[in-house]
Amino acid sequence: MRRRSWFIVAAVLAIGLCMPAVLAPATQYTAVTLVTDMTIALAWNVVVGYGGQLSLGVGAFTGVGAYACGLAMVHLGWGWLEAGLAGLVVCAAFGLVVGLPLLRVKGAYFAVATLVVAVGLQAGAQLWTWAGGGSGFTLPIAQLPSDSTVLRAGVVVLVVALATTLYVQDSRFGLRLRAVRDDEQAAAGLGIATSTYRLVPFVASGILMGLAGQLSALQSVSVSPAGSFSMEWTINASLFVVAGGIGTAVGPLLGVILVYLILTQGLQNLGVASSIIEGVLLVAVLRFAPSGIWPTALSVGKRLESAWKRRAGAQGMAADKEKRQVHVATASAVRER
Amino acid sequence: MSLTVAINGLLIGSLYGLVGMGLSLLAGVVRLINLAQGDILVGGAYLAIALHGVLGWDPLWLLPIVAVAIFCGCYVVQKWLLNSLVTREPLALLVVTFGLSLLLESLYQELFGANPASLPAFWGDTGFTVLGVRIETLYVVAFITGAVLAACTWFLLYRTHFGRTVRAAAADASTARLLGVDVERVFALTFGLAGVLAAAAGVILAVGQSVSPTSGLSLLVFSFTVMVICGIGNVIGAVVAGMFVGLLQAIAGAVIGQSSTDLAVYVFLLVFLIVFPSGILKRRELGIR
Repeated sequence: MRRRSWFIVAAVLAIGLCMPAVLAPATQYTAVTLVTDMTIALAWNVVVGYGGQLSLGVGAFTGVGAYACGLAMVHLGWGWLEAGLAGLVVCAAFGLVVGLPLLRVKGAYFAVATLVVAVGLQAGAQLWTWAGGGSGFTLPIAQLPSDSTVLRAGVVVLVVALATTLYVQDSRFGLRLRAVRDDEQAAAGLGIATSTYRLVPFVASGILMGLAGQLSALQSVSVSPAGSFSMEWTINASLFVVAGGIGTAVGPLLGVILVYLILTQGLQNLGVASSIIEGVLLVAVLRFAPSGIWPTALSVGKRLESAWKRRAGAQGMAADKEKRQVHVATASAVRER
Repeated sequence: MSLTVAINGLLIGSLYGLVGMGLSLLAGVVRLINLAQGDILVGGAYLAIALHGVLGWDPLWLLPIVAVAIFCGCYVVQKWLLNSLVTREPLALLVVTFGLSLLLESLYQELFGANPASLPAFWGDTGFTVLGVRIETLYVVAFITGAVLAACTWFLLYRTHFGRTVRAAAADASTARLLGVDVERVFALTFGLAGVLAAAAGVILAVGQSVSPTSGLSLLVFSFTVMVICGIGNVIGAVVAGMFVGLLQAIAGAVIGQSSTDLAVYVFLLVFLIVFPSGILKRRELGIR
């Protein structure tokens, strides 16, 4: 990572860890939601934006993370931190178990396969009576961390997601990853082990999604098939990332903030209508600015800048011409003399 | 498991075959995996329910009206939205169909509520007995609809001028354009056709089972299973594959329990995809590569 990236990561970590002391309790709850969404968006962006594999199975990872963490707390009596770390390990193992066979499956088939994993796990969790069946279970209050602790944990997770994104953005690994995304055969021809570059981002983003699922479970004090394995996770991730700008570091974060401001703040009382607007937003962005808001804004900015430069350049040329005419005039005056 | 359950599963499966046929037609011609296919089906069902409330006609009479309406809707979506993305990022194309699916699902929830709804018909719960096997009329209607529409689609694709342009666009879109085929229009018509196939299945399914705003997702997975089994662009194979999926559900329901019918199809599809990563029959039936 570049030095600038280290600086950004350290700054976000420092500011984020101070947040709980400053924010009111109600705002802290919102902050946890935002941090969870940002983590999901960044993680999805790593595997889809940089890796080029459309994963529609975000819910599978959030669900596995939430269930692993929750079951460890309820049935083993572990503290939230130990349970969370156990959830991380389970998510990594799950990512490998799913990711390895799915290496064979590509493109749209991969997208549907991941979708099926998420939907299938949700259907399976509904039949799993030991884990509460269809209604899930609630977490034991005694082992729960305070709201500000959840927020601090969330900030740490977000910083890990941010560091992963910046690493992918700047490193050789990320360069190879984008090469595999743009042309897998050509990348393989240049000696890149394409399987590695498909599996590693899948597992890494899966771990981050699992952590986000755990955060959301700790926040809502419950784990259920409808919530933890929800399709909503994939919908949100794609909306944030596609609206903000896929394959960029800033885009997903911008997407979360914009969608949050528009939907949650602007249209608070609309209920179901807000998810209609989510759908319209996603379709409209893809229709009119397929690369997302951030890259579109950047290119508009660049165009304005070059237009400005051209105008400044034209003025400069006019000044030059005037000067030359003065020179010619003096030269002829000298000659006349 | 009784023979009745198996036969009913086979017959209702022909409807999955119809939806899968549309999906595989789109994949073959437009190179588009339509993640909103299940929601188009649910849209057809809801439209029929709404029309039934106003006109009170039998679902089979409503079928043509629903088909025309869904065809027009799908035509516009492809022409205005999807065609601009077809030549660009395939990823954006997939995501936009996912966005459509989300949009439709929340639209249904807003308009019709979250509760399951169904379509009444006088043949909805009648039945007859053949050789000691009890068969419900509904399933026969489903099978006949599936077979007739499959035959129409086959005729359209292989015996008409429109079908020739579709197959040309599927084989090589840029060459077809060079030879004077309006490829964008062909794409829009194909999407309309796929929508009609899904909506017709939706109307019959709404009589037999009920539909809810969220049932599109599992139906998408069923139809995707059909496509993966039969291969891309295979019309008649789709009905057979659909019947297989229906049978699979019936077997799972009888052996494991009614709550596991969907799960059985999911597991089957996942294993199938891992063993045959791009289907068993590739783009053969449309005469492509």
